[in-house]
Amino acid sequence: MNLVLRLLGILVVAFILAPLVIVVPMSFSSASSLQFPPPGYGLAYYKAYFNDPKWLVPTLNSIIIATGTMVLTMILVVPATFALVRHKFSGKGFADLMMLMPLAVPHIVMAIGYYSYFGDLGIVHSHIGVILAHSCLSVPIAFLVLSANLKGFDRTLERAAQSLGATPSRTFIHVTLPILRPGLMISALFAFIQSFDETVVAIFISGRDAQTLPRKMFDSIREQADPVIAVISTLLFVIVLAAAGLPLLTKAIRERRQARALANAAGLSAPH
Amino acid sequence: MSISLTTLTERKNLWPWLLLAPLGLYLLLFFVVPLVDVAIMSVTHPRPTLANYQRVFTGALYQYALINTFLTAAFVTLFCLLTGYPVAYLMANSSRRAAMLILVIVTMSFWTSFLVRTYAWMVLLGNSGPLVAFLGWLGFEPTPQLLFTRFSSMLAMVHILVPYMIMNVYSVMQKIDPALIRSAESLGAKGFSLFRHIYLPLTAPGIANGCVLVFVICLGFYVTPVLLGSPREQMIAGLIGRQIDEFLAFGMGSAMAIVLLTVTLIILTIYHRRFGLDKLWG
Repeated sequence: MNLVLRLLGILVVAFILAPLVIVVPMSFSSASSLQFPPPGYGLAYYKAYFNDPKWLVPTLNSIIIATGTMVLTMILVVPATFALVRHKFSGKGFADLMMLMPLAVPHIVMAIGYYSYFGDLGIVHSHIGVILAHSCLSVPIAFLVLSANLKGFDRTLERAAQSLGATPSRTFIHVTLPILRPGLMISALFAFIQSFDETVVAIFISGRDAQTLPRKMFDSIREQADPVIAVISTLLFVIVLAAAGLPLLTKAIRERRQARALANAAGLSAPH
Repeated sequence: MSISLTTLTERKNLWPWLLLAPLGLYLLLFFVVPLVDVAIMSVTHPRPTLANYQRVFTGALYQYALINTFLTAAFVTLFCLLTGYPVAYLMANSSRRAAMLILVIVTMSFWTSFLVRTYAWMVLLGNSGPLVAFLGWLGFEPTPQLLFTRFSSMLAMVHILVPYMIMNVYSVMQKIDPALIRSAESLGAKGFSLFRHIYLPLTAPGIANGCVLVFVICLGFYVTPVLLGSPREQMIAGLIGRQIDEFLAFGMGSAMAIVLLTVTLIILTIYHRRFGLDKLWG
């Protein structure tokens, strides 16, 4: 039993790894269509990506929208998380549930809602529309990460500061915020990535003017499976690995339990 | 000290609501209102009747999509369990370094955009891809069509969702006390019987968690089935997308969306009653 399970496990790990492994060589392919293994190697698709506004404009749009989403989400979520973690009040259970609700609704359902509602408001096909929609989807993820951090916060540190004469606002700025900074940064990073990766809502409401990168990739895959996608995939892969993967992994070694929570939260933003 | 005790406690009660107010208002305007909008459209577009719902439940195309969605989600969940369980087992029962390596691979998969993974499957399963070439080499003539079938979309969905199963099952397996296994062995349990009567029940909470999460996400999948699946075998989300995109049939799209949402919420509510929803996301 043991051996069978182990062998199966190794096979499945190979299955999980396979698509990630083929994307990188594909990006250096010299073939004009999808072909694996590539007949030769070159940088043609990298040139194509970096010289084509059809790809660069959506990339820029995605960065703008993800940054906006990150800022808006944090402005809304940080005070709310403090309220929910540090205060007891009637209606807290309901408020907790409301924070998680956007995770429970399939994105396609939100997509129809936004399409019609933002049409009425006149902000469909605009950056601001996509930011408002994406922030809603980022709220639960940012909240989950931040509340986990805040729950583990040792409040004796704040009491110590206050007993030494610090005012509540000074305590907040000089004690609470610095300790929470890693949590805040990861929370913000997840809000950013959630927006950068979100496809379904973006397909329906981003239009031509605020077309995001995933939307452009979706259209491109649907129409012709443009090999430039392999380039973008590789770039995204490298950026994610460098920016988020490595610090997270060193953290994972230190604190496995937190790593699981993070990985789960990271996964939340992926499908739909 | 001029503040009386009552105003102080009143302030304390007001404070959390002040902190929550901006987010509450935002969620009301940009989460609740759009959803209510969908519910209203489902009974008013194009005319105020319940005809849309009647068509969702009786029209052959829609019935087929509903059944297909549930069957697909059930099969994907089953395959995720069958493939994810051994990986979690491998992680829980190997050296620390090997477990870390697998964790890195699984996490990497999490962090890779699923459009990237969808694209990769198009390359792997395409007509000039390695799998078709391999089947040709094995002697299949003509080589079978792999891409744009039920097989390809389900394979990609299992690939995207199996990390959720692995993480959920692994977190439970990790906490199993090895002494329990040893004492079972000392009492004579071994092989399959040990697995069936001791190990499997101990990991059941993780299995339940993983299955609910995978099933619910799969019900609402849009991108993967649309890009990789067979155009003849649509899932609900894909059909909803087409109603808006091609037919501008907002009423029908909304009615299906409400059905999808209701089913999702029912499953999650049952789960919430038994385990607590916050457990689901780690």
